[in-house]
Amino acid sequence: MSTTIDPVAGAARAGGDPTGAFGIDWALIRRQIGGILRLEISKNLIGGRALILYVLAFAPVLLVSLWVVVPIDKGLGGPASGAAIFANIFPFYVRVSVYLSALLLFMSLYRAEILERSLHYYLLTPIRREVLTAGKYLSALIAMSLTFALSTALLFVLFCAPWGVGELMGYLFRGPGMGNLLAYVGIVILGCAGYGAVFLLAGQFFRNPLVPGLVLWVWELINFLLPPLLKKISVVHYLRSLYPIPVVEGPFAIIADPTPAWLSIPGLLVFTSLVLIAAGWRARRIEITYGGE
Amino acid sequence: MNEHAIATRPGVAATTQQIARADETVVFDNVSKFYGEVLGVNRINLTLTSGIIGLVGPNGSGKTTLMNLMTGLLRPTEGTIRVLGIGTDEPTRLFRLIGYCTQWDSFPRGVTGYELIYGLLRVHGYPHARSDELAWEALERVKLVDAAHRKVAGYSKGMRQRVRLAQALAHKPRVLVLDEPLNGLDPMARAEIIGVFQGWAAEGYHVIISSHILHEVDMIADQVILLSGGYVVAEGEIGGVRTDIEEHPIQVLIRCDKAPILASKLFEHDHVVEVTMHDDRDGLLVRTKDANRFYLALNELVLAHDIEMETITVADADVRAVYQYLIGTEGEATR
Ligand SMILES: Nc1ncnc2c1ncn2[C@@H]1O[C@H](COP(=O)(O)OP(=O)(O)OP(=O)(O)O)[C@@H](O)[C@H]1O
Ligand SMILES: [Mg+2]
Repeated sequence: MSTTIDPVAGAARAGGDPTGAFGIDWALIRRQIGGILRLEISKNLIGGRALILYVLAFAPVLLVSLWVVVPIDKGLGGPASGAAIFANIFPFYVRVSVYLSALLLFMSLYRAEILERSLHYYLLTPIRREVLTAGKYLSALIAMSLTFALSTALLFVLFCAPWGVGELMGYLFRGPGMGNLLAYVGIVILGCAGYGAVFLLAGQFFRNPLVPGLVLWVWELINFLLPPLLKKISVVHYLRSLYPIPVVEGPFAIIADPTPAWLSIPGLLVFTSLVLIAAGWRARRIEITYGGE
Repeated sequence: MNEHAIATRPGVAATTQQIARADETVVFDNVSKFYGEVLGVNRINLTLTSGIIGLVGPNGSGKTTLMNLMTGLLRPTEGTIRVLGIGTDEPTRLFRLIGYCTQWDSFPRGVTGYELIYGLLRVHGYPHARSDELAWEALERVKLVDAAHRKVAGYSKGMRQRVRLAQALAHKPRVLVLDEPLNGLDPMARAEIIGVFQGWAAEGYHVIISSHILHEVDMIADQVILLSGGYVVAEGEIGGVRTDIEEHPIQVLIRCDKAPILASKLFEHDHVVEVTMHDDRDGLLVRTKDANRFYLALNELVLAHDIEMETITVADADVRAVYQYLIGTEGEATR
């Protein structure tokens, strides 16, 4: 067995400029986040948690496939009317599938590793807790976005499919179809980002996902009743105004008063960033007390 | 923190009175840790210089707590800790200097030995080639190259212990914190690992090793810190502590059939100070002044009387005896 230690290697940075803007070594942070993504993305795409994610994302796809295949009269409207049905179902898809998946995935980012007693391996590397949090968030966001981008696109196409391939292609490539599809994919990714940040933060305060899961759900349900400032503390609030195809709203539609679309995206990104900063700051307080919790 | 850290404060019984530079020592300054109401460690003042340092104490004495504090996994309720001049809340600097092999025999799900070490080196920020190189070097050092691509979940206890050691030393830290690192290793592996520790210590590195078996650390440590109930009860060079121990009886708990016969025969030996029978008459507690002669005698008696041994427990008991001794005599003054 060799007994030599190379002291320089221990202290030296692994290449690159030691510091950059704000005195922070951005190149190092990029490499560290890359290191976390390597380890984390597969955890989110394979295994028990991933299975539930796939069920939540693709069960509706399966149902709609049946609807497409079964030879019943789907009305005469053509792909555009199919897309309209999709548009009215999509909000529920976000409120149920996306919401629950984010709850599951992001709340367990720290929690699962505490239960597994493996979080200390990360905490013993020279990484800032904020960077670790950002890396974990990104890994789950990538996994979830990939899944839901695919499922949303499939759902949209399936709803437009019953009138034959020719009609479908026409709607997608010579009509507004592809634009709408991409808009929904974008919205679903924003939804993952927003809910993900909220549940990552919630995971640092609550052990039981039921509590924050229910609280936020009710909060968003009554969102349209809230005064303007409080409305902004919500994910659906921003998503709602981005829908490319109008949704048939209930009796409260007039009160809804959505943010204009051009403000919604930066609005949601600011909201998400603020929640993430809180989560990163909170992560500095994490202590490892596995058994004694 | 001034340039020269004072080794210890008044109030601690035995202290190493050396003056050492703060950026070359691990310094605990009046550190306490409470888990809610439960005491972890209390008012710890220590200066750990380079070399092998043994942290010895019975279960629950605060060894792991002290190590977790040193590595920032826990934040002190009170006081400050500096490792070679760096605070434990500065991970980006601290973990280039420190490697910690924890007591937890747990791993991220589904990893192989290589993936664990390589993957974490990438999180350190090392690029692929360097991470690969360091990972193999570490695996080589703990003799796990052949098993590197097998899942850790399928490793034996000793292999898991070794892969965690490899993980702690892969980035070549100057301070190695090892929580019961010899647990689960066979004598060959122990001897080899101990050789590695001694090599590093000789080169000026810090190797901090905990154990609840004083004898184990006693042979290799330059400095021993004895913990009991969250307090440092003695601290110093091993020589002085050892003489104290040698003159003090050790306790051995034996469970066997024919316990009464064994008890009466053992009592005939002059090195046996005391023999107490258990209520169920299947066990006895022996206190002896000479462990070697005791074991020889025990062997002979077992053969001569065809006694069936169930268990012999000595490890923890002899430390506990030391503690009783240390706490009983001078220990009171240290609180
Ligand atoms: N997470 C926790 N919550 C509450 N109390 C704890 C926790 N961890 C440790 N303790 C308490 O702190 C004290 C010191 O524990 P610690 O684990 O540091 O001892 P140790 O010397 O490492 O013991 P062992 O030899 O069993 O590993 C014990 O009384 C223990 O019960
Ligand atoms: Mg311990």
